Amino acid sequence: MIGLLIVNGCATSPIKRWSHTSGDVPPKHAINRVPFFAQEAYQCGPASLAMALGWSGLDIHPDTLTPQVYTPSLKGSLQPALIAAARRQGRIAYPIAGPEALLKEIAAGHPVIVLQNLGLSWIPVWHYAVVIGYDLDSAVIILHSGITYQKTTALKTFEKTWARSKHWGLVVLAPNRLPATAEEQSYVRALIGLEKARQWTAAVEGYQTAISRWPQNLSAYIGLSNSYYAQDDLQSARRVLQKTSMLFPEEGVVFNNLAQVLWEQGNTQEALRAARQAVKLGGPLVEQYRKTLNEILADEP
Amino acid sequence: MKYIRQRSKSASAFLVILMVLLTVPYQTVLAAMIETETALEISTAGQKARDHIKTILAREDAQAVLRAQGIDPFEAMARVDSLTDAEARRVADQIEDLPAGGSFLVTFLLVVGIIVIILIITDHLGYTNVFTFVK
Repeated sequence: MIGLLIVNGCATSPIKRWSHTSGDVPPKHAINRVPFFAQEAYQCGPASLAMALGWSGLDIHPDTLTPQVYTPSLKGSLQPALIAAARRQGRIAYPIAGPEALLKEIAAGHPVIVLQNLGLSWIPVWHYAVVIGYDLDSAVIILHSGITYQKTTALKTFEKTWARSKHWGLVVLAPNRLPATAEEQSYVRALIGLEKARQWTAAVEGYQTAISRWPQNLSAYIGLSNSYYAQDDLQSARRVLQKTSMLFPEEGVVFNNLAQVLWEQGNTQEALRAARQAVKLGGPLVEQYRKTLNEILADEP
Repeated sequence: MKYIRQRSKSASAFLVILMVLLTVPYQTVLAAMIETETALEISTAGQKARDHIKTILAREDAQAVLRAQGIDPFEAMARVDSLTDAEARRVADQIEDLPAGGSFLVTFLLVVGIIVIILIITDHLGYTNVFTFVK
């Protein structure tokens, strides 16, 4: 019956989107060993994040996360706060949306934090839970939710409550793994988030993961070298940038950053060559390349 | 940066603190290293440039000019797709200077101009039997 429903893409009725994916994923899947934390009052955000982080390999209690995640005046947790807190723990926080993505992630063994409105649209009761399984034949979703371990919810009910958050979900992963539905630019943005959270070791690993999957992604190489640079590992930063300069010989940004690293290592002549190459290649950032070149020139003995 | 640091060593502590307070945000101190986020925007700009060139070449009058010159329009689009981000940005920048729209002659010049720019920038030899003056 599920396979016979006709689908129209985004114009499809909500329930049909679930069956549309059924060809791409097994009819049911459950993820074992997702830790469970019974939430305290209003603390579904910290609890959900602690469960996802725990599954990803980090032993952490919701109380540790509460100050970062929970906003007392709102009696709840904001989505950006969840994302930022996950990144501060050195994890990839990768937002997803919609039934297709949810099912694919679960089928790949990744639990997904979801935001539901358990109340009414005009009196919302926002609630975070962690999806750990599904069964399309029985039309149920399995969640760690509230104080219930492995709670089974009818798919129809889940769809209604989840749709109100526009089907928002969050995958939390160690940086050596990719989300099943990973897209190039979105994954790099999640890694930039790690850089902003100053999680350099995680960022290095994440960018290496990105490069192995998308070896033509310039920003991943730049991100990798920037993360090494931030750790004062100039040798590795230089190595990456030199390799990148051969893959992308026309991108000034590579030569600009290489010039900076060479200069800090004391190789002024090579630094000047790289800086001049950047200026010669030009592009939208040429003024910054000129600035780099001038700084190196000013420093020459 | 080193020059500034040497100078500030000899300044009073007050002046040093004042300078630090007046200093622009942390990022500019490391202005020389371009951030990953900025690099990401450059890559996006490359894709936008390719789309822009293809939009022009997809116009009916442009397609007519291509065909009249014996160039398969699909092939032309494929060539644009194979431009690197840096090449696409350079081509799009140069196109800005060419005339747009209007008479057939203007379109002809525009399309020929685009092709010539692409050829020069990418050193492609595929079309030289069409444009023998480009060597």
